[in-house]
Amino acid sequence: MIEFRDVHKWFGDLHVLKGIRLRVAAGEVLVVCGPSGSGKSTLIRTINRLEPIQKGELIVDGMKVHDPRTPMTKLRAEIGFVFQQFNLYPHMTALENVTLAPIKVRRMPRREAEALGKEVLAKVGLADKLHQYPAQLSGGQQQRVAIARGLCMHPKIMLFDEPTSALDPEMINEVLEVMRALAREGMTMIVVTHEMGFAREVAHRVAFMDYGELIEIAPPEEFFARPQSERTRLFLSKILTH
Amino acid sequence: MWGIYLEQLLQSLPFFLKGLWMTVAVSGLSLLLGTAVGFLWGIVRASRRRILKALIGAWVDVIRGTPFLVQIFILFFILPEFGVHLEAFPAAVIALSNLAACFICEIVSSGIESVPHGQREAAVSSGLNGYQQLRHVILPQALRVILPPLVGQYVLLIKDSSVVSAIGVMDVTRAGWLTVQRIPQGILVFGLVGLLYFAICYPLIQISGALEKRLGRSSRR
Repeated sequence: MIEFRDVHKWFGDLHVLKGIRLRVAAGEVLVVCGPSGSGKSTLIRTINRLEPIQKGELIVDGMKVHDPRTPMTKLRAEIGFVFQQFNLYPHMTALENVTLAPIKVRRMPRREAEALGKEVLAKVGLADKLHQYPAQLSGGQQQRVAIARGLCMHPKIMLFDEPTSALDPEMINEVLEVMRALAREGMTMIVVTHEMGFAREVAHRVAFMDYGELIEIAPPEEFFARPQSERTRLFLSKILTH
Repeated sequence: MWGIYLEQLLQSLPFFLKGLWMTVAVSGLSLLLGTAVGFLWGIVRASRRRILKALIGAWVDVIRGTPFLVQIFILFFILPEFGVHLEAFPAAVIALSNLAACFICEIVSSGIESVPHGQREAAVSSGLNGYQQLRHVILPQALRVILPPLVGQYVLLIKDSSVVSAIGVMDVTRAGWLTVQRIPQGILVFGLVGLLYFAICYPLIQISGALEKRLGRSSRR
C-alpha cells in the first residue's frame, strides 16, 4: 500500500530523511517512535506530499508521490491525516467539518453527506456534538472530530501525527480508543506516537527513527523485548521508565 | 450678512447634491473595482507565485509611495502625450480603483497570512483543490481579520476621492471650489462640503467599529 524506496529529504542543508526503505501492507498498523527531530513526523507528511521528497521513490496506493506531475488531490482524498493540533476549521460546526470534503471533493449530495457525517461522529462517540463549534469542544473531542473528518472520506490509509501529544492526560484514552477500534476494523494506519502501550497492544510493527534514519522495525513483542540497536534500547529505557 | 450667504448657499444646494452624487459615483465604482482587484492581488500576494508576487509588491510600493494627486495628473495630463486619451471621469475611476486595489491588496494578504498554517494543511490533506481551500477554509477565517480595516480603508478612499476634483471631475469638492467664487464665505461653503463627506463616511466608521467589536469578540480556537 505504501512503499518508500531509498527516500531522502532535506530542509535546506539539513538532511531529515536519509534513505528510508519501508513497505506498509494494506491493513497493517505501523507505529513510528523516536526522539523529537528524528524525522518521524516528516516521514508521514511525505506520504500525502505535505512535504515533497528530493530523492528516491515513494509509491502510495499505486501512485508515484515522488513524481511532481502526479495530481495529488485524488490521492489525498484516499488518505486521512490527523494532526497533533487537530486543525479543525474553527468557523464550522463538527458536522460541517466532517462533511466539507465529502461534499466538495467526492461531490456527495449534502443530505447524504450529513447522514454519513452523523453516523461517523456517532461512531467516535460524538453524536450529541454535531452542531458544536470546535472552540466549544474539549481537546479529546476535537481530536475525535478530526479523526471523523478523515474517516468520512472512506480513506484507504489513515496517518496520525502525534495525535495525543497536545491532549490533557485524561483525554488521551478516548482518542486511543477510537484508534484501536479503527485498527480492529483493518484500517491501514501509520501512527507517530510515544504511546507505547498503544503500540504494544495494537501495532503489527513498531519502527524506531533517529537522526532521519529508520533504525529498527519489528513486531512489538520483539521490538520491546529484544531491541537490536543500542540507540533503540537507550530510547526505550528513557520513555518506558516514566 | 451671513443670512444672505446662507440663502445663496441653500439655492446652490442642488448643485452640491449633484457633486455629492458624482463623489458617490466615483468612489462607489472605484471601491467596487478596487475591492475585486485588491482581493485578487492580495490572494496572489499571499500565495507562492514568486514572480507575480514580486511584481504586485513593487507596484503596490510605487502607488503607496507617491501622492495620489501626482498619479492622477500622470494619468490625465501626461498619458495623452503617449497617445492615451482619457475623459476625466474614467481617469478618476481608474486612478482611484488602482489606489484602492493597492491598499486592499495589503489588507487581504495579511488577513490570509493570519490564518494558521495548519488550516491550509488540513484542507490540502482532505483533498480540497486550491480554489476550494481558499473559498471554504482560508477566506472565511481571513475575512474576520480583513473586514474591519477594509471598511476603515473605504472611508480613507472616499475622502481621497476629493483629489479627482483637480482634473475637473464635478464632485462635491469641486462644487465647493466653484461656489466659493460666488459666495466668499469659505467657512460656510467648505463647512457644507465637509458635512456632506462626513454624512457618507460616518456610517462607515460606525460599521467598521461594530465589525471590529463583533468579529474580535466571537470565539476563535
